[in-house]
Amino acid sequence: MTTEQEQRRKVIRSRLLTLAGPFIGLLFVTSLFALSSELRPVFYTGANWKNIFTQTVIVSIGALGMTMIIISGGIDLSVGSVVALTSVVGARLLEHKVSAPVTILATLLTGGLVGLLNGSMIAGFRMMPFVVTLGMMGVTRGAAKWLADNQTVNFDGESMVTRVMEKVSPDTFFPLPSGVWIALLLTLLMSVFMRCTVFGRYVFAIGSNEATARLCGIAVRPYKVLIYSIAGLFFGLAGLMQLSRLSQGDPSVAIGLELDIIAAVVIGGASLNGGSGSVIGAVVGALVMAVLRSGSSQMNWPNYVQEIIIGIVIILAVGLDRFRQSQAAR
Amino acid sequence: MALLLAMETSTRAAAVEPYQIAVIPKGTTHEFWKSIHAGTIKAQRELEAEGIPVRILWKGPLREDDRDQQIQVVENFTARRVSGIMLAPLDSQALVKPVGNAVAARIPVVVFDSGLKSDKHVSYVATDNFKGGQLAGEHMGKILGGKGKVILLRYAVGSASTEEREAGFLDGLKKFPGITLLSADQYAGPTRETAYANSQNLLNRFGREVDGIFAVNENSTIGMTKALRDIGRAGGKVKMIGFDAGSASIKDMKSGDVQGLVVQNPVRMGYLGVKTLVQHLQGKPVEKKIDTGVVLVTPSNMEQQEFHEILYPPISQYLDK
Repeated sequence: MTTEQEQRRKVIRSRLLTLAGPFIGLLFVTSLFALSSELRPVFYTGANWKNIFTQTVIVSIGALGMTMIIISGGIDLSVGSVVALTSVVGARLLEHKVSAPVTILATLLTGGLVGLLNGSMIAGFRMMPFVVTLGMMGVTRGAAKWLADNQTVNFDGESMVTRVMEKVSPDTFFPLPSGVWIALLLTLLMSVFMRCTVFGRYVFAIGSNEATARLCGIAVRPYKVLIYSIAGLFFGLAGLMQLSRLSQGDPSVAIGLELDIIAAVVIGGASLNGGSGSVIGAVVGALVMAVLRSGSSQMNWPNYVQEIIIGIVIILAVGLDRFRQSQAAR
Repeated sequence: MALLLAMETSTRAAAVEPYQIAVIPKGTTHEFWKSIHAGTIKAQRELEAEGIPVRILWKGPLREDDRDQQIQVVENFTARRVSGIMLAPLDSQALVKPVGNAVAARIPVVVFDSGLKSDKHVSYVATDNFKGGQLAGEHMGKILGGKGKVILLRYAVGSASTEEREAGFLDGLKKFPGITLLSADQYAGPTRETAYANSQNLLNRFGREVDGIFAVNENSTIGMTKALRDIGRAGGKVKMIGFDAGSASIKDMKSGDVQGLVVQNPVRMGYLGVKTLVQHLQGKPVEKKIDTGVVLVTPSNMEQQEFHEILYPPISQYLDK
């Protein structure tokens, strides 16, 4: 057996592990609740999984943008605040009877704009993403409260926007809210985009080694601006979903959401050092947390048990990642 | 396997299936919610003695004050197909849809403590918060002798129960034209810490001129009293009226830092919530709105027997461990 073959085999095995890891985790937490005879008949029902999927939409859509940022070696802590800001922007527009398509567009663009600002500062002034977005977290949260007049923004009447996350027929799995389909479709698109386009490969290259990427002729700075801007659009969409779910704009919503999203991305196999990560993994990671939350809440475990378990899962995921890397390096 | 399953279901059917009642408070750390919990257990024990087994599933939102998290809890219990849900909505608007979904899934909902802009729930079991606020306003007018400058420390936007108290307080003050409002647009926020910090900020500006303060819930009362002590204006120099009887507030009242507490009866609220829901589940008619009572406790009447049980709810009697 030549060493080249061996090497290839190792790479394939590590790839498989990376891809399968989050799914194994999902399978594990899903089957965990089968141990309870009381939960078995109600946990594996269409109605419950419709819930779990709906509860995952916001974190998943946020994770699509975050995965891209983390693969490029960055981080964005402003997501929770951006979700609050965009949900308020959307609610304000609906309050003033602006049509649904315009509202949707403006909400997404608000998210994109914050991303553009983040990206410009990070790329333009070579500032630490952690610090820039930490600052932006405060700026956007404040802006949301300002725009909302420090209270929740309620608007009259139903709109296309409020129906996106609405559940009909509570007893069955189908029909799923359109928000779930949107999240699913975007996940597939992003996955293909990251794997098969030049842009996607550049993101990996920048995250693996920025200096090398630059020497290879990648215009790192413009790409970084673009990465944060596109991610911002996703965060805007997440804000729109939040608006739909609460049927109001709430400037105090989604505090700490960024940590959930980062956790999902990490459980999905991304490394905070950049250069690796998986879009589908991140969404599965989000599902892992939603399943755990749903299950432990229905098991009637106290909240602290839930928080401890999810914390342990995150640490295990990172531990698994280290193990994979050491395997691949050997 | 099928046999096993069949056996399991048949043994279950033999015993009387208990009513599973999910109780969803706004948070879990306040003593107020612990008293509610105690009340639900009290009702459970009574019903069990009557031969009606009930299981209480007590579950607050993972992050207190997070509307989305509370929606998730409602959804999870809906999916679990409990017999009924008791909910203290964090927001009168945001929880309308999840409650609608639960009712559509044939799970009756009793709303307690705080209102919901919906007509789908079976009953609304709560304190008359407006009246509670009025009591505070009138007491404030009386102890200030009809003139002075007061501050209203609000709790949070969108919380119907505290907004009613705030409106009631302002209404109660109307009888005293000599009293002016220094500030009525500041919010204490969800925790004792946020309440403390916001009170400090407020007192930094108005601390020297203020004569009386009304805080609208447990944590804002405790936070504001603490902030008053810090600047040396507690002990009656500034008349402090609070809402709810947490053990810290009662201690503050004994030491003379608090001049009045509007006290609800959370044990009774939890108790009547469960009773009403079970009544509905058994197909009996229930009142659409149930008032659980509110009283004003002052340093002079706090030792009277009738207030004792309200001030010192027998939580340990019902919640062990």
